[in-house]
Amino acid sequence: MLYRRAGIRHTSYRHERMLWPLPFDRYLVGTIAAFLIVAPFLIDRLYLVAYLLPWLIWSMAALGLNLLMGGAGQIHLGYGAVMAIGAYSSVHLVRAGVPFEIAMIAGGLASAMIGVIFGFAALRVKTLYLAMSTLAMQYIVDFVIAHVPAISGGTQATIQVPPVRFLGLRIEGDIATYYFALAVCTVVTLFMLNVHRTGFGRALAAVREKDYAAEVIGVSTFKYKLLAFWTSSFIGGVVGAVLVVCYLRSVSPDQFHIDLSVQIVAMVIVGGLGSVLGSFFGAALILFTPIVLNNLVASIAAGAGLSLSSDLRAHIPLMLYGALIVGFLVLEPLGLAKIYDNVRNYFLVWPFRYARK
Amino acid sequence: MNAHVPPVRFVTSWPTRPDGVPATLIAALARNAHESADRVAFRERDYGIWQERTWREVFAETLALAAAFQSIGLGPGQALTVIGDNRMRLYLSMIAATALRAFPSPVFPDVPPEELTHYTRYGEPRIAVAEDQEQVDKLLELRERTGRPHRIVYDDPRGLSGYPDDVIVSYDEMLLRGRALLAAKPALATDLVSHATAEDIAVLMHSSGTTGAPKGVPLRHRNVIGGVLNARAGGVIDEHEDYYAYLPAAWVGDFMFSLAAAVLLRFTVNIPERQETVLRDLREAAPTWYLAAPRAWDNMLTRVQVGIEDSTRAKRALFKYFVPRAIEIERRRLAGTPPSVVERLLMFAGEILVFGPVKDYLGVSLVRHAFTGGEAIGEDTFLFFRALGVNLRQIYGQTESCALTAAQADGAVTLHAIGNPLPGVEVRIDDKGEILIKSSSVIDGYFDDPEASGKALADGWLHTGDAGYFENGGDLVVLGRVSEVVHTAAGERYIPNYIENRIKFSPYIRNVAVLGAGRAGLCAIACIDHEAVGHWAEDEGISFASYAELSQRPQVYDLTASVLRHVNELLPQHLRVRRFVNLHKDFDADDGEITRTRKLRRNVIEERYASLIDALYSGARTVEQDARIVYESGETGTIRRTLSIREVG
Repeated sequence: MLYRRAGIRHTSYRHERMLWPLPFDRYLVGTIAAFLIVAPFLIDRLYLVAYLLPWLIWSMAALGLNLLMGGAGQIHLGYGAVMAIGAYSSVHLVRAGVPFEIAMIAGGLASAMIGVIFGFAALRVKTLYLAMSTLAMQYIVDFVIAHVPAISGGTQATIQVPPVRFLGLRIEGDIATYYFALAVCTVVTLFMLNVHRTGFGRALAAVREKDYAAEVIGVSTFKYKLLAFWTSSFIGGVVGAVLVVCYLRSVSPDQFHIDLSVQIVAMVIVGGLGSVLGSFFGAALILFTPIVLNNLVASIAAGAGLSLSSDLRAHIPLMLYGALIVGFLVLEPLGLAKIYDNVRNYFLVWPFRYARK
Repeated sequence: MNAHVPPVRFVTSWPTRPDGVPATLIAALARNAHESADRVAFRERDYGIWQERTWREVFAETLALAAAFQSIGLGPGQALTVIGDNRMRLYLSMIAATALRAFPSPVFPDVPPEELTHYTRYGEPRIAVAEDQEQVDKLLELRERTGRPHRIVYDDPRGLSGYPDDVIVSYDEMLLRGRALLAAKPALATDLVSHATAEDIAVLMHSSGTTGAPKGVPLRHRNVIGGVLNARAGGVIDEHEDYYAYLPAAWVGDFMFSLAAAVLLRFTVNIPERQETVLRDLREAAPTWYLAAPRAWDNMLTRVQVGIEDSTRAKRALFKYFVPRAIEIERRRLAGTPPSVVERLLMFAGEILVFGPVKDYLGVSLVRHAFTGGEAIGEDTFLFFRALGVNLRQIYGQTESCALTAAQADGAVTLHAIGNPLPGVEVRIDDKGEILIKSSSVIDGYFDDPEASGKALADGWLHTGDAGYFENGGDLVVLGRVSEVVHTAAGERYIPNYIENRIKFSPYIRNVAVLGAGRAGLCAIACIDHEAVGHWAEDEGISFASYAELSQRPQVYDLTASVLRHVNELLPQHLRVRRFVNLHKDFDADDGEITRTRKLRRNVIEERYASLIDALYSGARTVEQDARIVYESGETGTIRRTLSIREVG
C-alpha cells in the first residue's frame, strides 16, 4: 500500500546497490533526518536533553557493539569498560590542553588498543567462555581505573570536563551538544549502514557464520576477529568521549560499570543482532520503557485512587519492563528490527500475502 | 565507447516530407541524434541492469552497421532476414538495412527450420541477422537446403566458436568494421542518411497465412510514417512514451511501435532481459504505453485473483470490498452514468488501498495508454482493468494497414465496438458486410503477388476479410471473418463464432453452439463448465451426481438463461438467442464435436443433434436424445436422456 516499486530500474550496478531503492523508505529516512535536525526548535528543551540526546548516544554505543556481536558474532560483556577507556583518555587529554578533535580520536584509539586485547581471548574461546573472558576484562578495567589515582583521581573522585571546542564551535549548552552528538551519530550510522557492503563487512559475516569455514575460504579469522574488536572498540571509545562531553559533563568510575555493559548488550539483543535500525529501536526501548512505565503506573495509581507503597511503586514498572523485554523476544527472537521488518513486509507485498513472481 | 561518435555530428540534415516530418526511418533517427542526442532511446535489460543508449549512440551504431552491411554486399531491393527475440541490436540492424534501401524481413523466432523457407522466399535475402546459436543453426540448415543466406550476422556469440568463419560474422565484428569505414570516409555518414526514400520498403511482413504459405506484406516508409501520424492524431500514442518491447518482432505491431513510432516520436524503448522474464521486468520498466493481447490481460487478472485468494484475511476483504464496487461503477460509467460524489470518494480510497498497489504489482501503474487488440476481450477482464484505473482501450488493425485502422478514443470506450477509425483512415462497409479501408498506411499490394493484390486491393480499398458494421456515431463493430458469416431464413447476417465467444466469456459455459443457419431466429446448445457450475451448485446447496444430472437442474437452467440474457443485451434484436438446451455432456474432441484446438465442428453437431435442433425450433418443452459415447478404450455406447428446452426470456 505504502510502497511503490514499479519503475525502479537499475541502470548500473552501482545504482543497484543503493541503500534505499524504494521511494517510501527514502521519504521515511528523509523525514526522520529532517525531524532530528529541527528538533531543538520544535520540542521542549527537557525532552531534547532527557530523551533525544541520550537516545542518540546510547544508539551509537549499541551500533558499535552491534558491529562486534551482530557483524562478527563475538559476544562482549565489557563494552562499558571500553567506553570508560575512551572517556578517561579523552578527558585527560583535553585537560592537558589537547584539542578535543584529537582527544576524541585518541580516546577511540586508546579504547581500540586495549579493546584488541579482549579480542585475543576471542581467538581461543567462543560463546559463553568469551562472555566470561570479556566480563573479566570489564572488572579488570573497572578495578584499574578506580585504583589508579592518575586515571580516576581516586575511587570516589569525579573529574569535571572542561569546556571544549570542536572545529571552532563551543560544545556547551543544550543545542550545541545535541547537534554534536547528532553529527557523530550520523557518521557512525553511515559507517554501519555501509560496512556490510564492504569486503571488511563480508569477511566479518564469514567469521560470524563459522570461523573455521571462513578460514578455509581464505578469510583470516585471526586478522578479522582482531579487526572487529579494534573497530568496535574504537567506536566505543569515541562514544565514551561523546557521552562524557555532551551528556555526563563529568567522569567518574561508577558510570561505566557492568550495568552499562549489560544495558548495551540488552539494546543490541532486543533491537536485533546485526541491524542498524535495531540498535536505535533497542536503545529507545531499554532507555525509555522504565520512564514511561513509571509514569504510567503512577498515573494509573493516582487515577484509580490506589495508594501503592513506594516499594511496590518502584517494583511494578521493573516487573513490567522485564516482562516486556521477554515478551518482545518471545514474539520475535530476532528483535525489534525483525518486527519492523515483518510490518514493512506486510505493506510491501500489499495486497498479497507474500512477494510473488 | 564514444570514439565513433564524432563523424555522426556532421549529419545535420536529412530527407523530410513536405510537412517537415522525416521521410524515412533513418532520417528520423538522424533527426533524433541531432535534436535529442542525449535522450535515452533504448533501455535493454542485460545481466539484471537496464543498459541505456542515447539517440546519438544509437544513430552512430546504426550508421556503422549500415556501412558494414554495405561492405558485405547488402544492397537496394534486397531482403535482410532478421530472426530472434526483441533485442536492440536486431532493431538497429533493421534500420541499418533500410538506410541501404534494402529491407528487413523479421521472422518469428519459434518458426521451425522447415518453415523458414516460406519466410525467406521474397526479396532473396542473402544476409541474415540472428540472435543466437539456436537461430544460426536454423539458418545454416536453410543455407544447406537453399544456398541462402550467404552471410549470417549473430549477436550472442555463446556456443558459436567452432562455426565456419566464412559464413558467420559477429555483430561486434561488424560494428568495428563499420566504424573503421566511417572513420576512413567521413562523407559516408551523410550518404547513408540520404539514400533511402519514402517510396522504399521499410519492412517486409508476412501475413499470418492460416491457409497455405504466408503472403509478403511490404510496408513502405510512407505507409509506416502515415500510420504513426494517424495513430498520433487519433490519441493512440504521444511523443516520448516509455514503451515496452516484448511482442514478437515479426509481428507488424512490434515493428510499428518498437521501431517506427519509437523513432518518429522519440520513445524510450524498454527491452526485457528474456522472454521468460517479461512479466517481472514489466514492473521495473513501468511503461507509459502498453499493448497486450486479450489472453495476456486475462493472465494478469488470473495472477491477481490467485494472489488474492492466497492473501491474508484483511487484505482479501479489502480487495473484495472495493473491486466489485469499482467494476459496477465502471460498468455504469461505460453505459453513460457518471459516478456520484460518494462513489468518487470510494474510488479514491480504493485507489490508495487496493487499485494502486495492484497496478504497481503488475507494472501498469504509469500506463497512460493501454491497449488490447487482435481478438475480442472478455467483459470481466476489460472491466477489471478499467475499474483499476488502467485506461484500457481496444485497437483494431491488420498487417496490410500497419496495424493501425481504428481505436477507441479516450472517454468513448465500449465493450463490443472497437472505436472510431483513426484520423486519416477511411472505413466503409460493403454490401457483403465486409470492412474496407483506405488510408496512407495501407499497402499498395502484396510482394510479388499481383493476383492476391488485385483481390485484396480492388478499386483502391483494402478488403480486410473482416465482417462488421457501424454503430451509433461511427463506432466500428467487428464481428469476425467474412468467411464465417451465416444467414438466417429471414436473411439476417450473423457470425456464430462472435456470439459463441461472448457466451463463453462466462465461466459457467464451457462450450456452446449457436444455431440458425437457414432457420427462423437463433437457438443455442450449451455445455456447462463442470468445475465452475459444480462449485456454484455446492455453494447453492444443489445436489448432483454427474455432469448430465447437474446440467438438467432447473437452477442450472436459470443460470444458463441469465448468461444468455446478458449476451443478448449486447446484440441487435433479431440476433438474440431465443431458446436453448443444456446438453447432458460437454462437446468432446474424442466424439468429433470439436477439434483438438477446441474449434466447433458445426456439421458434426448439426447432424448428430438433428432431432434436438428440430425440437428447439418446434417449441417442444423436452426432447429425447440418444447420445453416442466413445469410451477411452475405443468402444462405443449410447445413452438416452430427456433434456428440457427453455426460453431465454
